[in-house]
Amino acid sequence: MKFRNHSFRKRLFAAMLLSSLLPLLICTALMVQITRLRMQNKAREDLAGQSAGLCQSLDILRDAVVHSAARLTDSETAIHALGSGVGSRLQINSLLFDATDSWRNLAVFDLYDSAGVCRYSTRGTVSQNLPTDWGVLYGAAQAGGEPVYYATENPADTASALLLAGVQLRAEDGCTGYLVMRLYAAGFHVLLDGKYVQSDVLVLNKFFRPVYGSQTNLTQALAPRLRETMLRGELPEDGNYVYYIANHPATGLNLVLRQPQMFTARTVWLLYTAGILCVLACICVSALVSLPLSRQIAAPLEKLMGAFDRVQQDKLETQIPVDRQDEFGQLAERFNQMVHALSINRQELITNQQELNQAQIRMLQAQLNPHFLCNTLDTMKWISKINKVPQVAMMATNLADILRFCISADEFVPLYRELEILERYIEIQKIRLSDDFSFRQYIPEELYDCLVPKMILQPIVENAILHGIDGISGSTIEIRAWEEGGSLKITVTDNGHGFPEDMLGQPYRRDEGLAKGHLGLYNVDMILRRNFGESCGLWLSPGDGGVGARVTATLPIRLEEETEC
Amino acid sequence: MRKRILPLLILALLLTGCGSQGARQSLIPEENRLVVYTSHKEEVYQPIIREFEERTGIWVELVTGGSNELLDRLEQEQEAPRADVMFGGGVESLESCRELFEPVRCTDYRRIPASLRDAQDAWVPFSALPVVLIYNTKLVDPAGLTGWEDLTGPKFRGEIAFADPTKSASSFTAVATVLQACGEETALALARNLAGEQLDSSGQVLTQVAGGEKLVGITLEETALQRIAAGDNLALVYPREGTSCVPDGTAVLKNAPHRDNALEFLDFTLSRAVQEMLGSRFYRRSVREDVGDSDTLPGLDRLKLTDYDTLWVSRNRGDILQKWAEAVKEGAA
Repeated sequence: MKFRNHSFRKRLFAAMLLSSLLPLLICTALMVQITRLRMQNKAREDLAGQSAGLCQSLDILRDAVVHSAARLTDSETAIHALGSGVGSRLQINSLLFDATDSWRNLAVFDLYDSAGVCRYSTRGTVSQNLPTDWGVLYGAAQAGGEPVYYATENPADTASALLLAGVQLRAEDGCTGYLVMRLYAAGFHVLLDGKYVQSDVLVLNKFFRPVYGSQTNLTQALAPRLRETMLRGELPEDGNYVYYIANHPATGLNLVLRQPQMFTARTVWLLYTAGILCVLACICVSALVSLPLSRQIAAPLEKLMGAFDRVQQDKLETQIPVDRQDEFGQLAERFNQMVHALSINRQELITNQQELNQAQIRMLQAQLNPHFLCNTLDTMKWISKINKVPQVAMMATNLADILRFCISADEFVPLYRELEILERYIEIQKIRLSDDFSFRQYIPEELYDCLVPKMILQPIVENAILHGIDGISGSTIEIRAWEEGGSLKITVTDNGHGFPEDMLGQPYRRDEGLAKGHLGLYNVDMILRRNFGESCGLWLSPGDGGVGARVTATLPIRLEEETEC
Repeated sequence: MRKRILPLLILALLLTGCGSQGARQSLIPEENRLVVYTSHKEEVYQPIIREFEERTGIWVELVTGGSNELLDRLEQEQEAPRADVMFGGGVESLESCRELFEPVRCTDYRRIPASLRDAQDAWVPFSALPVVLIYNTKLVDPAGLTGWEDLTGPKFRGEIAFADPTKSASSFTAVATVLQACGEETALALARNLAGEQLDSSGQVLTQVAGGEKLVGITLEETALQRIAAGDNLALVYPREGTSCVPDGTAVLKNAPHRDNALEFLDFTLSRAVQEMLGSRFYRRSVREDVGDSDTLPGLDRLKLTDYDTLWVSRNRGDILQKWAEAVKEGAA
């Protein structure tokens, strides 16, 4: 949720970073682990191969003891000599040398009698006596003819034998003596050297006590540690070496091979460091790539926002330069269009307002002067009455009434008032035209109170008098009103010349009205439409039977009460 | 939340590698194990443990340390003991912790003199260690040194190498021995004759006497004989008033995880083979009646032994030590 609140640029940057980092990280980790496991397995396989070879070498140990012992047991002389303690030294020695011929390069062979006294040896000096209730002789006696292998107590002391292999020599009447093979460090070198490469070898006894190590510190340091891990039931494991442990079943000895890990903790660390450096590079690259890109996105947005601000501050001339064709270009274009439309709209509004203001001013001006005219007309009326000119008096009276009506502040008047003024006008016109036409009105009384805009009937009737019945004697002008579908219909019909063809039917148009000089009709139409909307206005048509002209005014029915509300 | 955790998990899995490789090798079965706490020196326990392993096929796990340290540890582990056997430590020390041990009677107990055994068999003895006097052969006339009494004389004032009995178990045994052989008076006179000087460890006693810094010393027969065999200018005297022959011991713990193996080990330490080796290799005296003292040791019959009351000594340990310390302080003044 929080993520969405950050700016788009930051999100874009984060997304790019993530999408470039994650695969890299996963890839690095995978590669390191796979390589590590692969190399470890390879090292193990390698060590397993080497240990097979080394085990074969250890087989020689067993062969040496078993075969030598067998050959000595076969010789009655040797057995007798050991048992009785009498016999030719030379003869026994040559028997011993014979029996151990193939293995004397490896080890020293000693013959002990049943009391543990060393009688004969392949070495120059005879070895020290051994207890028969302890160590190798005891073990050999217990094993009964099978060889036993004892590790030295101090493997660091390379001058003494590292491994004692003892076997009891048995005659029919029981134990006669022991053959002991002493294996020194040199013997192990002969036995094992060349059988292993790039690794260290440690020979341990059954209980993981050290016997021989290809390096001296192996027996001192590694062997006790191996024994501990063995007791804990774990596999030897450290970051620096790969271990392989093989048991040699024939001797019970354990072979431990170890090889330095190619993939030490340091290597892993190095690889991960390289990975992290790659990640850093990645961050830089993605920053370099995403910053201009996000700028490309953000810049037009900021421009747009600035433009909006300026529009808000009413600067409608604001335009965004469109310098690209992508979505942002289109957006800018639309914005420009929108602002343009807005400014045109506003211009119109201002013009309208100005026109309205002017009209109001004109009206105010128009209201100012007529008072003086009314007064003048009244004066005229009295002067004509004094001078007994009744027609002038009447005309003056009517004109004054009309004028007063015209300059009254009311915009809307009841229909009956309108009709009264219309009658005043007709009276004037009758005097003017020597009573040459008849005027009739058919207005239902319930419509008398309907409100109509002031002075809408007079211009229509004037139009009929001036253009319709001009020069026609005995003409009539009828005025009717009725309600139709919620609207008030008022018709002014004459039996005069009629309208020209092209004016018929059409709602009144401004330019056409002006062109034909029917300013009165135009004005009435305009007043109606402005006041009540486009559904209202004037409708021009021929009179009944195609004679004369008929002007129909349509306007909503409104009563006085409603307007006051 | 799930969406965020999943990639993290995958990453973690990758970084930690893919778990253990392969099955573990077959473990050493519990019935083939034995855990031994030992305060013996390595040259003593090493051949015995090894031979035990070879003979029985039991893997011995060793924990080494000073006897008091190991006994403390055993006390802490009392609820869930890790050790099976406590191998080593003077029987006085073992006696003070006897509630930790399971009374067991070894197979050959009849061959061991009752004076060396515990009545309830909470521990069994391993080897007998008489307290002896040593002197520098080049600086001391052996005629003037025959027993404890000689050490109280002005001749040896300030010339006696003796380890602090609060720190060294063998020194405490020596103090108790003098107390029981000659009585409190001689013992305190001896303490005063130290002139306030006590050494930190029993090993220093031999070094100081051999080096001539002190003329005489009090130590155990075993260590003295070893140093003599190594060629130091030392000779030893068995005090004519009598000495003690307090053994060190072996004990099986209560609730030992490998009790059967522990019993086997106990029997092994008292077997003829081991007991005979004690004399021939370590200058220790066997606790078996049927094992004669080896050529390296003077016959036990040449020694005058006092009746050493282990129980009394271990009960009055605090008192004895306090009196001794006061006397030593007095001597310093």
